Amino acid sequence: MRQSKVTYQLERFGLVFVWLAFIALFGFMRPDTFLTWSNFSTIFGSEAVLVIVTLGLIIPLTAGDFDLSIAQVLTLVSMSTAILDARLDVPLIIVLPVVLAIGALIGLINGFITLYFRVNSLIVTLGVGTFLHGVTLWIGNSQTISGVSPALMEWVIIQRLWGIPIAFYYAMLLAAMIWYMLSYTAFGQHLLFTGRGREVGRLTGVAVGRVRLLAFVLSGMMGAVAGVLYTGTTGSANPSSGTFLLLPAFAAAFLGATCIRPGRFNPWGSVIAVYFLVTGINGLSVLGFRTFVQDLFYGGALVLAVMVSQIVSGRKERGL
Amino acid sequence: MTKGGAPGLVLRGVTKTFGGVHALDSVDLCVMPGEVHGLLGANGSGKSTLIKVLSGFHAPDSGSLQIDGRSIALPMPLGRSEAYGLAFVHQNLGLLPEATVLENLIAGDHERLNPWRINWRAESDRARRLFAEYQLDLSPDQTVEELLPVERALLAIVRAADRVREHRNQSASGILVLDEPTPFLPQQDVRRLFGIMGRLKKMGVSIIFVSHDIDEVLEVTDRSTVLRDGKVIGSYDTAVTDRDTLVRAIVGRAVSVDRRVSALPIAKPVVEISGLTGSILKNVALSVQPGEVLGLTGLIGAGHDEVTTLLSGACPAKSGMLTLAERKLDLTQLRPADAIAARIAFIPADRQRLGIAPDLTLTENAMLPRLGSSVMLNHAKLRRLTMDLLRRFAVKADNPGQPASELSGGNQQKVVLGKWLQLRPQLVLLDEPTQGIDVGARQEIYDRLAEVCEEGGAVICATSEFEQLEAIAHRVLVFDRGVIKAELKGSDVTKALIAKACYEGTQIHAAE
Repeated sequence: MRQSKVTYQLERFGLVFVWLAFIALFGFMRPDTFLTWSNFSTIFGSEAVLVIVTLGLIIPLTAGDFDLSIAQVLTLVSMSTAILDARLDVPLIIVLPVVLAIGALIGLINGFITLYFRVNSLIVTLGVGTFLHGVTLWIGNSQTISGVSPALMEWVIIQRLWGIPIAFYYAMLLAAMIWYMLSYTAFGQHLLFTGRGREVGRLTGVAVGRVRLLAFVLSGMMGAVAGVLYTGTTGSANPSSGTFLLLPAFAAAFLGATCIRPGRFNPWGSVIAVYFLVTGINGLSVLGFRTFVQDLFYGGALVLAVMVSQIVSGRKERGL
Repeated sequence: MTKGGAPGLVLRGVTKTFGGVHALDSVDLCVMPGEVHGLLGANGSGKSTLIKVLSGFHAPDSGSLQIDGRSIALPMPLGRSEAYGLAFVHQNLGLLPEATVLENLIAGDHERLNPWRINWRAESDRARRLFAEYQLDLSPDQTVEELLPVERALLAIVRAADRVREHRNQSASGILVLDEPTPFLPQQDVRRLFGIMGRLKKMGVSIIFVSHDIDEVLEVTDRSTVLRDGKVIGSYDTAVTDRDTLVRAIVGRAVSVDRRVSALPIAKPVVEISGLTGSILKNVALSVQPGEVLGLTGLIGAGHDEVTTLLSGACPAKSGMLTLAERKLDLTQLRPADAIAARIAFIPADRQRLGIAPDLTLTENAMLPRLGSSVMLNHAKLRRLTMDLLRRFAVKADNPGQPASELSGGNQQKVVLGKWLQLRPQLVLLDEPTQGIDVGARQEIYDRLAEVCEEGGAVICATSEFEQLEAIAHRVLVFDRGVIKAELKGSDVTKALIAKACYEGTQIHAAE
């Protein structure tokens, strides 16, 4: 039973249409505040961090694993960057590779525990994430650390290209890289089989263990990149920065899997989903709703996204 | 009918068709109270369909059921059979290994237990009394994974018997269906199983004993019914029946199979295997020459199918060496990637889990082994290669981008075959390659295997379908409990002789 081309295209771009409808609705109601370039360029720039966390998540998700620690990697790296840069005056050129290595190391630990002890990654990364939060509070003495060098902020949020902070373009570059990796490399196919047909892949010679490990390392590194950008965006590091990003990132990852390439976690779908979600929240707050709409919107979107994707796939029982 | 009195269970005229094919063709079965009744038949004879009609899993097209003289409407409502005094012990036993003996014993006993409060002490005492009555040395507090295989089987049987007894009234004693309980049990433990069957029989319980093992059936049953091609061939009083009669009834007259095997010139083997030991196989050696199709077969639990999983690296062997075109491979270390590098292809039996990823597209499924470690996939080329492959293997599909789940089983299997044969393997391993596949697709698969042979490849095909072996195998090895017990070559490769070798071998260990 093949669905027609038209309905398939509608399904692919459905979320984009809903997004545009949101913009039109909010724009109609609050043309002077919502529908301004400065509002949009702020959204695009400041939510680049959330885009990168979401992109990081979809790599292990494609391989059938959860990485709940990614938001706390972000927090730890953000804190480490601030401490190294503002307190210890380490040059940025050294700070950046060090914090990237921290992200990779945490991914390695997640992967090792998951694979060697054969524990569900959901539990492993939940524990590791909480542990990392403890480390963050410890090294930062539970305080916000500011005084980050202007160069970092300059190259994250102050510099603009066509009016949008440069952080946005970093996120798009990473989305393009992950899109290429998933679509045009054998590794992308190996990730896919590891998630959707692990035994088929294994019997066809895919080193599924190594693929899963690498997926964790990559998501750890993406978390680290997001952490650096977070510090650059705010000019400081606070010990709870990542805590509120995990759920939106999951919502965006699953919502993103309902569009562009329906049924699969995909980077462009994730990007669209992130901006769809933050547009909705931004619009509702412009209309005067208070902070609780965030939770309503993110939580609702996550549950709705998985419901929609299950209806589309005929409510089959499945892992992810 | 050899005994007087009213029968416990009567099935009349049960017919079941699947897609126009008769799986059961007006089958009658009559079991007396306190009788052990054997149900015999080869693969696909209709044994399991009949059991599934009784348990309510299949709705028959026609037929009637009576238990203790009471008519029961078919289809049997699922899960209601116990209420009619009919309980099943399937081969997998239906026990939860992590739970205790007691938890397993009372699981699902909704009739008796108070759902709001389980009195564990009373239940434990009850279990002890039950085990004492059946002379079982089991403790209610052990976990099931600590038990020996035979103890698990005994527990499952006692549980089923207990349920049947719960529902029995004054006149009715209940019927227990034991569906192939013995193949994975060591010989001496089969005796313990027969012991408990004897005790149940004394209590007046009827037992339907489904088995492929003629010697066991002769030993333990009072009467037996043989099914072949969905029909009842006969019911036999086992006291006055010999094994040859039963073998003949099971196998039937040899139908002429289109044997498509040409004589092979004698050549040096291209594949040599020695000392192969796995979870069932014990120190097996075999060889295959270029262009040969070697068939492996045996009854359930014989281990013939394990050969393919060990040679492909799907599971590590306990020991064993494979020599493939002068290259030595240690089978304890072999991973699937090494096997593929040595040009071994493996087409597994469990297509939905091991053969194909149903969510992914045909291109993705078919091209996975060709990707290598490319970082610049050419999708146009992969699509073209897939279309080419779909055409060559006559796969009926709309386009290479559709998910594999949209294809029929036969077409999926052709995709799997194409995925592997495009690599031009030296050794092709197949495990039940035509399971659930229509006749047309079967012939096409045989054609492709013949092409492998023409090019000098070797094929090892593990199957329980004797007809298939007659059609394609140059040589057949018959396995029994992990060892090779017979070899058939050339004109001896017939369905009848293979069946004879399979069923006769059981005599050997019965005498052990």
